[in-house]
Amino acid sequence: MSDLSFLRRLFRRRRVWTALAYLLLALTWSAAIALLALSGWFITAAALAGAGLLLGFDLFTPSAGIRAAALLRTLARYGERIVGHEAVLRVLADLRSASFAAIARLPLADQRRMRSGDLQQRLIADIDTLDGVPLRITGPLVAAALAVLGAAVLAGWLAPWPAPLLIAGAAGLTLAASALAARFGQARSRALVERRSRERVALLDYFGGLPELLAYRRTRPYQADLQRREREQAGAVLLQERVALSADQAVQAVVALSALAMLALALGWHAEGRVSAPVAVLLALMTLGLNEALSSLPGALWRSGESLQAASRLRRLGVSPPDADGPPVQPSRRSRDLPADATFQVEELAVGFVEQAPLVAGLAFELEVGRPLVIHGASGGGKTTLLETLAGERVPLAGSVTLAGRPLDQWPEPVRYRAIGYLPQQNTLLDDTVAANLRLGLPELSDEDLWAALDTVELADPLRREGSGLDYRTGERGRRFSGGQARRLSLAWLLLRDAPVVLLDEPFAGLDAALERRVLERIRPWLENRRAVLVTHAPERLPEDWARLVIGSGGQ
Amino acid sequence: MAWSIHLALFGEGGNLPWPWLGAAVLAVLLRHGLQVLRDWSGQQLAFAVRADLREELIATATRLGPVHLTHRGHSGSWASRYQEQVDALAGYYARYLPALGLTLAVPALLLAAAFSQDWVAGLLLLLSAPLIPVFMALIGMGSEQIHQAQQERQNRLAGHFLDRIRSLDLLRRSLALEATRHDVAAAAEDYRRLSMRVLRVAFLSSAVMEFFSAVAIGLVAIYVGFALLGFVEFGPAGELTLFSGLFVLLLAPEYFQPLRQFAQSYHDRAGAIAAAAELAPVLQPPAVTGRLPEPRPTTSGTALLELRNVTVRYEADAQPALSGLELEVRRGEQIAVVGPSGSGKSTLLALCAGFVQAESGSVTIGAAARPFAWIGQRGHLFHGTLRENLLLGAPENTRDAELAEAMAAAGLRLDDPTLPQGLDTAIGEDSRGLSGGQAQRVALARALLSGSRLWLLDEPTSALDPQTEDDLLTRLLAHARTHDITVLVATHQESVYRRLGRIVRLADGQLQEDSDV
Repeated sequence: MSDLSFLRRLFRRRRVWTALAYLLLALTWSAAIALLALSGWFITAAALAGAGLLLGFDLFTPSAGIRAAALLRTLARYGERIVGHEAVLRVLADLRSASFAAIARLPLADQRRMRSGDLQQRLIADIDTLDGVPLRITGPLVAAALAVLGAAVLAGWLAPWPAPLLIAGAAGLTLAASALAARFGQARSRALVERRSRERVALLDYFGGLPELLAYRRTRPYQADLQRREREQAGAVLLQERVALSADQAVQAVVALSALAMLALALGWHAEGRVSAPVAVLLALMTLGLNEALSSLPGALWRSGESLQAASRLRRLGVSPPDADGPPVQPSRRSRDLPADATFQVEELAVGFVEQAPLVAGLAFELEVGRPLVIHGASGGGKTTLLETLAGERVPLAGSVTLAGRPLDQWPEPVRYRAIGYLPQQNTLLDDTVAANLRLGLPELSDEDLWAALDTVELADPLRREGSGLDYRTGERGRRFSGGQARRLSLAWLLLRDAPVVLLDEPFAGLDAALERRVLERIRPWLENRRAVLVTHAPERLPEDWARLVIGSGGQ
Repeated sequence: MAWSIHLALFGEGGNLPWPWLGAAVLAVLLRHGLQVLRDWSGQQLAFAVRADLREELIATATRLGPVHLTHRGHSGSWASRYQEQVDALAGYYARYLPALGLTLAVPALLLAAAFSQDWVAGLLLLLSAPLIPVFMALIGMGSEQIHQAQQERQNRLAGHFLDRIRSLDLLRRSLALEATRHDVAAAAEDYRRLSMRVLRVAFLSSAVMEFFSAVAIGLVAIYVGFALLGFVEFGPAGELTLFSGLFVLLLAPEYFQPLRQFAQSYHDRAGAIAAAAELAPVLQPPAVTGRLPEPRPTTSGTALLELRNVTVRYEADAQPALSGLELEVRRGEQIAVVGPSGSGKSTLLALCAGFVQAESGSVTIGAAARPFAWIGQRGHLFHGTLRENLLLGAPENTRDAELAEAMAAAGLRLDDPTLPQGLDTAIGEDSRGLSGGQAQRVALARALLSGSRLWLLDEPTSALDPQTEDDLLTRLLAHARTHDITVLVATHQESVYRRLGRIVRLADGQLQEDSDV
């Protein structure tokens, strides 16, 4: 599928709205042209009639036409804007849910690349670029084509063939000039995007590394580097802008010159008696009136390049235009039953990033109910990587992890996540209410269930005191919570999932010693009632009768 | 154009008025040539402003120093200010300002031309002139609303969408992806309804303006036509010719053109004002600057740093972060600065670094205290190779063998599997590829290589596990001892401060005790 057909399919679902918007825009421009042309015709005819050169002049039809054109222009314009924005906003809604679905369907490794803030920002920007397609690109192109066609047909009916040819020529020239400028700009704007993201990295280094730069007296070379980047960037952007602005003016000049050419031709035909004087004026003013429609073409073509690029980036991400609703992005929770037993076995397991240098190798154990396994060791030793592998989110370098006798990757995703509850090191909370966070995927949970879980992690009282209780909003990236509170909320999330196997990565990070002790006492029965793995850097604070495993320096 | 038509229809001989048509061609070229110049100079202005502002942002950030800088947002938001917000100002200078000038000048000029031909036609145009301020208010209200709708969109919907993309892992583990997909669609739908309500009002106001301009053109045409037919018996109607009629008609759209352009550029203004409102407070000179004080001799020969009755305040009316502090740091000392969070530990270190300045009192910094080495909670690794990072504080011609030696001293092996290309290993965004411990080791190696005699360490091991912490501190302190390096460590961990020779306790910005262990 090409970028172009991607765009076509994207807007097909809203074709009634978009088509209506295009028609209304064409009507707006036609009315504007008619207003000017009809006025010129009317004035000329009146002057001739006033001088006694024209007989039987019907005064009222054209003046009614002028009034109608004036009114129609306003109404069509208003309608176009309403309908056009309605179309755009509908497309935007489609596009967002399609992008979300596409990204959710990506393999896990690809999805994690999306964690980079820049990539997320670009996704948003790309969607915003595409949403303007009907309004600022195809709309003007289609409407300009319709307005030009209308004018050419009228000219062909009123005057000899060079008249429509001139109008078509002016439109063709405009289109060619705009396309040329857009092509010139497109290649360069790709380079601009690249340069801009490199500049961003340099900026993050400067602002983030300022203590080091000041300490080691290196601010000047870094400032000079930023200045050089800014100069290069500004020069390139300025050139882009100038080409675009010049193309704009060139198009307007082409239209004005065509109008003069039309005037010369028409006056010549009038002298030969082939057209009447009012029609000659009408032809010239009609050509001049095309200005409004044609002068939007450079911008439209310029943006079409940007949109094609945005479309191609979205396509590379795997976003496809929504066809009806598509298959579900994740099978539902109830789609399959859990395995009868939850035996969890690890054999000859090696984990890490490179096969030649595994972080952990030759690992073997079986989890027991009632005796959680505590994993500790130096940082960078592969604790987190091991836990991700045990959760089935990372493929083992060697060996196997089995649940109820079957390797993890042979279980469907919903079964795996229902059987294995994984609390990662990093807190992730939705920017939503406490209740929404806890009820994720489990809409049937009652308020009492939620309060019970919050009580276990000693979060119930602070939330009750705060007033909004379960409706308390967590804020962007959980900012309305302290690190320890966010941790406990995540812990409550895990408790509510009630999986037969649980993997906890530093479950008490950010909690002070006393609180950690209390929370541990409260969840201890729950942990000992299932198969559990805890990764920690403070194993001495966990019950002594739990199993221990040391990872990293010093073997097992 | 009007004169050419007039000549062709009413002139003598009935020849085509070639000279006048030629003049019109020249006028077209002149007009659009000048407009290109206008647009280019508008862009030039916008670019000059942008370059100035960017330079000022960097200068302000540097003058503020790292401590005040973070008070005004994290480095990501500074980068956005530098890129997006400064860019948002461009439209104001490139389009809005020129359009504003033309909105008054051009219609006045065209009105004068219309009056010179026929005062009734001029009056028709003028009648819409008192409406111009009304137009403007309408446009203003309209685009302000559009702009606010944009803000809504940024904050609400982009926020919702972005948040759900960020939380994909959580959603997947919760088996809530399918439900969230419907949420995303519903949020987009809500947004659509909300914005349409706002947009309808905004579009109505611009429709009113379009209506007046269309009606004025129509009225002029009908008046001129009736006058030419002799149906208008008052005023100058009798003297109207085809030329003056067409002339006024052709002027009418141009009369409204600057207004329409102004309306189009009005959203540039709204965007620029929003960006300026964000940028202006950031560019305010700070109450206290973080300029590095020049080293000068200390009163006592053995002292490296002398703080006398020092008070530091971050905001003019806030509690002082440090008050009446007396401290003398002798050469070669290893000092722990301890105290609960918010007690002023980091401020004391920043003061010694020169990142903040004292409001009162004196800070004397000995020559040996510059340059100094700095290791924060998470040492910053710059985008580039490991070698470039190590060389930050070292002389250019440092040999690879010396780099390897420093790395070994910091406990970092060159053949580590996470450093596949050794010194040429690229270090990416967010120190990608290195663990927290490794990053701190790189920072330590950097400090070793810099040859600095003063090391300032702000919670250097708080992000590390006990083993790594122990190993790093042992290496660091051993090197300091053998090289006569003065070390100041801000910490709240007992495991750290009990290893240092002198402990300075802070509480609420005041020195509690200065106990030698």
